[in-house]
Amino acid sequence: MTYKILVVDDEPDLEPLMLQRMRRQIRSGRFEFVFAGNGVEALEKLAADSTIDMVLSDINMPQMDGLTLLEQIPDVNPNLRAVIISAYGDMQNIRTAMNRGAFDFVTKPVDFDDLQVTVDRTLAHIEEWRAALDSRDKLVALQNELDVASKMQQSILPTIFPRTSDYETYGTMTPALDVGGDFYDVVRLPDQHIGLAIADVSGKGVPAALFMMSSRTLLKGTAISFDNPGQVLSEVNSLLQEDDTDGMFVTMLYAVYNPVTGEFTYASGGHDAPLLVQADGTSTLLPLTGGIALGVIPEFEYKQTSHVLQPGETIVLYTDGVTEAMNAGGELFGIDGLQTYFQSSPPGDSEATGLQVMEAVSAFAGDAAQSDDITCLTLRRS
Amino acid sequence: MEISTETDGGTVVATPTGRLDGSNAREFQDALDAVVQDTERALILDFEQVSYISSAGLRVLLVTAKALQGNGAELALCSLDDPIREVFGISGFDSIIPIHASRADALASVKG
Repeated sequence: MTYKILVVDDEPDLEPLMLQRMRRQIRSGRFEFVFAGNGVEALEKLAADSTIDMVLSDINMPQMDGLTLLEQIPDVNPNLRAVIISAYGDMQNIRTAMNRGAFDFVTKPVDFDDLQVTVDRTLAHIEEWRAALDSRDKLVALQNELDVASKMQQSILPTIFPRTSDYETYGTMTPALDVGGDFYDVVRLPDQHIGLAIADVSGKGVPAALFMMSSRTLLKGTAISFDNPGQVLSEVNSLLQEDDTDGMFVTMLYAVYNPVTGEFTYASGGHDAPLLVQADGTSTLLPLTGGIALGVIPEFEYKQTSHVLQPGETIVLYTDGVTEAMNAGGELFGIDGLQTYFQSSPPGDSEATGLQVMEAVSAFAGDAAQSDDITCLTLRRS
Repeated sequence: MEISTETDGGTVVATPTGRLDGSNAREFQDALDAVVQDTERALILDFEQVSYISSAGLRVLLVTAKALQGNGAELALCSLDDPIREVFGISGFDSIIPIHASRADALASVKG
């Protein structure tokens, strides 16, 4: 490619000399020269021609000197690099030039072999700089796409929750910086039953996000077709295996709530146990059902169990973003942390409880960076 | 994350160190991929020095277990801290990957 170099000097001899000494590079098409007699003219040329790659400038010139020009260049093009030509031994001006952003300097009388090396080095730096800018732009574009993916994930989560005089539900998620794989869902089923799901896909990034989308779609479709949570998980697990999952898996807890009897029937596929919280804030973990995470074993029969919710009792479903939230000291919040929290702050309605959990986690973590999605789904029998 | 390995006959014992999470899952995977190649009979992962494992880490174990199975070899774990043992219990991974109390137990079981 051709590099365009702007030479700024008020001495008219430099132009023919430069063209003569650099003739080989000019003939080969590597260099092209543009000339200006002072700083003002130089700025005009730079403004008119955005393809100029570097500036080679004298210091002492009428109208605008080289040191002033150096200060102005970034406003015209911040990615230009300038080399200064200074009188031999004029350390003060050389220091000033370097402090004003000159890339390098050569001294008079100009040694053209040295100038050649200096120009080549400057252009090599410009190339690297441009490559770095290019990578940064691509990274920003990629980040924007990931932000879109993250927003899409957020937008598919339900924001309106079933609430009657008998019960209320509420779900909330605080996504980690990377697009991740938590989700929750609340599905209206026949006979006024409600399906509740919470899940966490292994890993992060786009593969996890895609796997999360397909898990959620399969769950929604399956939940409507089967009454039993165990059967739903077995079916979703089989369907997930039909695609090559590349070792990805999802832990999922799916429950069906019967508002008439208060019966909460659930099956866990490798997911954390539901926390049952009493109105006074005491809590216990409900038993797990021995199921493995979905996507791991081709055929697995998931078992279910149930608990009859008494009025005033709340079920809290959560992902490991809650229990494994870490503070600056490296300690984990833990299920103990959540249980202790409820003891001092008994649950309100399901929405208040969901928000309470998020607040408790955030208060515990303090300034420590959030590394995982934090998700919580609550159900209270009124 | 660091990982050291020693070979005892057809059995390789690998000892990862530190946290196994999304930030180093790829590194962990690459390290185990290399070990899987050299494993004839069994790969034992000694978790003595592991402080935490996330779902990204579990995924690496799953991929490794499958790769070993394909070669007719097996994967076993030993010396898990209680909190880490609990992760395997909750996720159900203890039903597909044998977990032993000590390295000696693990070695005895794969040789037996």
